[in-house]
Amino acid sequence: MKHVIIGVGAAGVAAAKTIRNLRPDDEIVCISTDREVHSRCMLHHYISGGRSLESLNFAPDGLFESPRLTWLGGVTVKRIDAAAGLVHTDSGGPVSYGRLLIATGAVSAVPPVGALRTAKNVFGLRDIADAKAIAQAASGGRRAVVVGAGFVGLDAACGLLELGGKVTVVGTADSVLPQQLDEHAAAVYQARFEAHGCAFRLGAGASGTESDPAGKVTAVLLGSGERLPCDFVVAATGVRPAVDWVRESGIEAERAVKVDEGMRTSAPDVYAAGDVTGLSGIWPNAVKQGEVAARNMCGQSAVYDDTYALKNTVNFYGLQTLSVGNLAPAGNDLVLTREDNARYEKLVIRDGVVKGVLLQGDIGNSGFWQYLIKNKIDVSGHLDNIWRLSYTRFYGLEENGEYRYAAAATV
Amino acid sequence: MKRIFIDPGKCDGCMNCSLACMNAHRAAPVPGTAPDPGATVEEQSVYTLDLTDPTNEARNFIHADGKGGYLPLFCRHCARPECVSSCMSGALQRDQAAGQVRYDPEKCAACFMCVMNCPYGLPKPDQLTRSKVVKCDFCVRLAAGPSCVRACPTGALWIEEVAADTPDLEDVK
Repeated sequence: MKHVIIGVGAAGVAAAKTIRNLRPDDEIVCISTDREVHSRCMLHHYISGGRSLESLNFAPDGLFESPRLTWLGGVTVKRIDAAAGLVHTDSGGPVSYGRLLIATGAVSAVPPVGALRTAKNVFGLRDIADAKAIAQAASGGRRAVVVGAGFVGLDAACGLLELGGKVTVVGTADSVLPQQLDEHAAAVYQARFEAHGCAFRLGAGASGTESDPAGKVTAVLLGSGERLPCDFVVAATGVRPAVDWVRESGIEAERAVKVDEGMRTSAPDVYAAGDVTGLSGIWPNAVKQGEVAARNMCGQSAVYDDTYALKNTVNFYGLQTLSVGNLAPAGNDLVLTREDNARYEKLVIRDGVVKGVLLQGDIGNSGFWQYLIKNKIDVSGHLDNIWRLSYTRFYGLEENGEYRYAAAATV
Repeated sequence: MKRIFIDPGKCDGCMNCSLACMNAHRAAPVPGTAPDPGATVEEQSVYTLDLTDPTNEARNFIHADGKGGYLPLFCRHCARPECVSSCMSGALQRDQAAGQVRYDPEKCAACFMCVMNCPYGLPKPDQLTRSKVVKCDFCVRLAAGPSCVRACPTGALWIEEVAADTPDLEDVK
């Protein structure tokens, strides 16, 4: 069997690794616009100079050198012909496939504000080309406006600040990382960024731009009426699945490629995984999707069922936070918080089930919270000792020595 | 593959396993103590272990079970490790042949998604710098195998050979 994988991000590499393990004799062809395998979650370390391009490579050692695996880097897919089982690219002849995985990820979605979409000095932060462009634009301590105060915006700001740049972060919400943090936890990070020289304009998004005759943005205008002069802009305003050629190839897709629970698209023998499916924007889920697709490409019957995606960890300036679930309480939710000089912790509990957890300052050994939340495990018997809860209260052993949860879901 | 097996009923919470783990991962002999001749750092006597040095952290831990007993928790080196699925730097990889999840601190970018993703709450950031992941390495550098098992005086821990992971070919259509 010949497997073709388009894209070498989290999902694509996970699929290649899985197929290699399951079917050492099968042929694998990876096709990617990227010339280097690199982790998008580490781009800010490249901008700051903290990591080399080579050290952004997250693939298992030797995977791309393994026998019967060919990698066409710097090659962009233009369309696929599902009837003929062919992938057409921008260089060389068509590539035939027995099974195809579309793992092309997403592209930066820049809002139609002023000249943000068209100006040459506005960059997304999605791949290594973006990171290189940002690092170059930032040389010499130039002024950056980062539009967006989510993960990518703060990543960009962090990298730029380490380079010595002057950075202003603009966000529409009143606090940073509004998807992951409550206002208290967000304020702690904001203060740390400010201590490193970062300025924030929150609660007022970008409403326009000023440009010079060369078409470069020279200032970002805010809804508040303020004008932020800048030398370049990072648009950290979200992503959209990279589906253009997929749609044109007759594969069912709207905003994202449509897949079933086995990651199959509408076309026979064509699968999709990762950001291109729009199912989640986080790394572990993209990997799971890539693994499920790969198993099915190898003839198994795997299902993508671990779909929970409201989970993240934050690590800036030596402060770690775990955020899982929904932290906005409703109705009669029980909200528990505690804090000291180094920690802030919050639990939101509804009808005996944990809906959200936020741990800032000490996240060690906290992985069990995700399991309790996503599986709706009843913790009402543990409320008197909830801060000391651990997996031991749900301890169970399989015959082969692996752990399992010995508690049933309540819903 | 080998796995550390646990009989919680035999655990009396003595924490010899945790001390042995600390000793196996200690940074250096305590200044002023005589190192054991010919011993590597990992083989130094536990009597020279500095319990207050935050770099000497245990990878395992024991909790009360809520019923008057103890539950020792050790990394399972799972067949489908959630920590590895969540690792965006490639620092965590499962060595399929050995059946062990290996950690490369040089690759690690300290995102700590593995801490979030382990359903059993085993990994943690290191206490001192919070820039590395502290996780069981099966004492792979030591010929004698996992130190915790060798240190357990009650027989609550032992090594067992379990079936190596088949590449899940059983459900091929």
